[in-house]
Amino acid sequence: MISVTKLHKQFGKVVAVDDVTFHAPDGVVTGLLGPNGAGKTTTLRVLSTLISADSGRAEIDGLDVAAHPLEVRRRLGMLPDARGLYPRLTAREHIHYFGELQGMSKGALEKRTGELLELLEMSALADRRVDGFSNGERTKVALCRALVHDPKNVVLDEPTNGLDVMSTRAVRTLIRKLREQDRCVVFSSHVMQEVAALCDRIVVVARGRVVEEGTAAELLARSGKESLEEAFVSIIGSETGLVQ
Amino acid sequence: MSAASFLRGVRTVFRKELKDSVRDRRSMTSALMMPLLGPVMFALMFTALARMVRDDKPLEIPVRGAVHAPNLVAFLERAGAQVKPVDPAAGEVEEQVRSGKLDLALDIPLGYAKEFSEGRAAKVLLVIDESRMKTQTQVRRVQAILRGYSAQMGALRLFARGVNPELATAVQVEEVDVATPEKTAAAMLSVVPLFLLLSVFAGGLYLAIDSMAGERERGSLEPLLLNPVTRAQVVAGKWGAVVLGSWLAFGLALTGFNIALSHVPLQDLGVRAQLGPREMLGAALVLLPLGFFASSLQMVMSLFARTYKEAQTYLQVMMLVPMLPASFLSISPIDGKLWMMFVPVLGQTILLNDVLRGEALHPSWLWLAAGSAALFAALFAGWAVRMLSQEKIIFGRGAGA
Repeated sequence: MISVTKLHKQFGKVVAVDDVTFHAPDGVVTGLLGPNGAGKTTTLRVLSTLISADSGRAEIDGLDVAAHPLEVRRRLGMLPDARGLYPRLTAREHIHYFGELQGMSKGALEKRTGELLELLEMSALADRRVDGFSNGERTKVALCRALVHDPKNVVLDEPTNGLDVMSTRAVRTLIRKLREQDRCVVFSSHVMQEVAALCDRIVVVARGRVVEEGTAAELLARSGKESLEEAFVSIIGSETGLVQ
Repeated sequence: MSAASFLRGVRTVFRKELKDSVRDRRSMTSALMMPLLGPVMFALMFTALARMVRDDKPLEIPVRGAVHAPNLVAFLERAGAQVKPVDPAAGEVEEQVRSGKLDLALDIPLGYAKEFSEGRAAKVLLVIDESRMKTQTQVRRVQAILRGYSAQMGALRLFARGVNPELATAVQVEEVDVATPEKTAAAMLSVVPLFLLLSVFAGGLYLAIDSMAGERERGSLEPLLLNPVTRAQVVAGKWGAVVLGSWLAFGLALTGFNIALSHVPLQDLGVRAQLGPREMLGAALVLLPLGFFASSLQMVMSLFARTYKEAQTYLQVMMLVPMLPASFLSISPIDGKLWMMFVPVLGQTILLNDVLRGEALHPSWLWLAAGSAALFAALFAGWAVRMLSQEKIIFGRGAGA
């Protein structure tokens, strides 16, 4: 369960997040939809404890992220914007490193690594060094290590960015599986169709604020537009989707 | 957080950094090859120098007809030469020199004694082979001795006739050769502390770059910090790996010099240099604490760089700074003062020079130098922890949305 209340964060004079409030319950996929620069990534970074908010509150399972950073990081699996890997380590070693940092026991780690590699169809590549992996393969490794501790809450920042069709499908399958397991899933995207296809609830963010919230059908109905894309454009109130 | 769980996180980071760097050619080169460069160069140069000195063996002059000039032969022997008769059975003198059987030969003809006693210029033949480079030193020395004899006898003749011999010598040239092999050897020995110090800084260089600037450049820092470990644990684990690299390089350099010094014929050079267990222990006591300092300093510097290449430039330039006191000391030794112990690197340089000269260390100075290095090391490590909490470090140039 993730909830964000009246979050505000600015860097110098630039307001990155003005006023963001949303609630993401367990067993639901919540989509954070918005153009680039809308404040999605900053919001997620506050959630992941790496940035402190200027005001407002972010909670994971009812824990204030600013007050309990270590406990929050144990309950959260996050695929950040940066997916850097260590070129000289194998896929398996990446997963093991993060599992050990999460404090997992050796047996549990072995078992979980096998499951994840299987799930993302990476078993054949598991013991190869990641140097030379394709974009999709790299993202899958990053996903595996983010989910190694089997977190209750999963936050994915634009997980399908730069992926080919097959990898995108694998990620979507994973997200559906996580929902079946009653996880709280939040993922951000700027692609309307993707959000509509996967999310139970959509939170539209523009210029650092939540401008609309609801299911895809509700958004469509309220905007009075024909297509989702039209609805999106009219909701964020700008043709280009950029901050004006 | 309990100490056990703190250490667990540190150990995980430490082990990963080691595994990663063992697979990195650059890290391994700087930790394993660099430190051996000094001892190898040192051994080669010393061996060459020792050979030069050994070639300075007593001058041997084969002489034919020594009986005709007993005074000349006596003079040659007084000048340090070993006069040996030419074996007449082995052929003509010229032939023996041409064939290389003899390096050179002095042929004193039958008429020498008569010419000499009549006060004329008595003729001797110095048989040499000008084309042979190897014998040139010997030839020069024989020529010098003969010139000396000639000048002495000439002076005596003038003197006997009531003429001041100095009139016949318009210019007197005296050569002063300061480049004795002993001095060269002593100068070379003074680079040993320089190389040892260098190894401490070189050993962990690429580990420090890779673990900080490399982590940032690859974009793996943000995912790493998403784990439930504190920045202090991350820094401590990485620091441990860098320190290990630094110590490893230092150990190799020390062992290398130990082997080089025990195999190089130092006694031929009249140099007394010892790098036995006592000196090695002393050097380790002085320099191991410095490994902490070098490592955390390098990590902080590396964090300031945005890319691997940039960090490489910073750190290589920075490596010159600690070398300054050592280079200066290798040229002109100064006496250590107490305040110097508080300056990391400078204190160690002074102490290291004392150790290698075989002087006893003040234990209090050793502690002060180690304590000051450790204090600065901790400050830099703390700084690295603080920097890892900064948004602009974690997310690159600016923490934009």
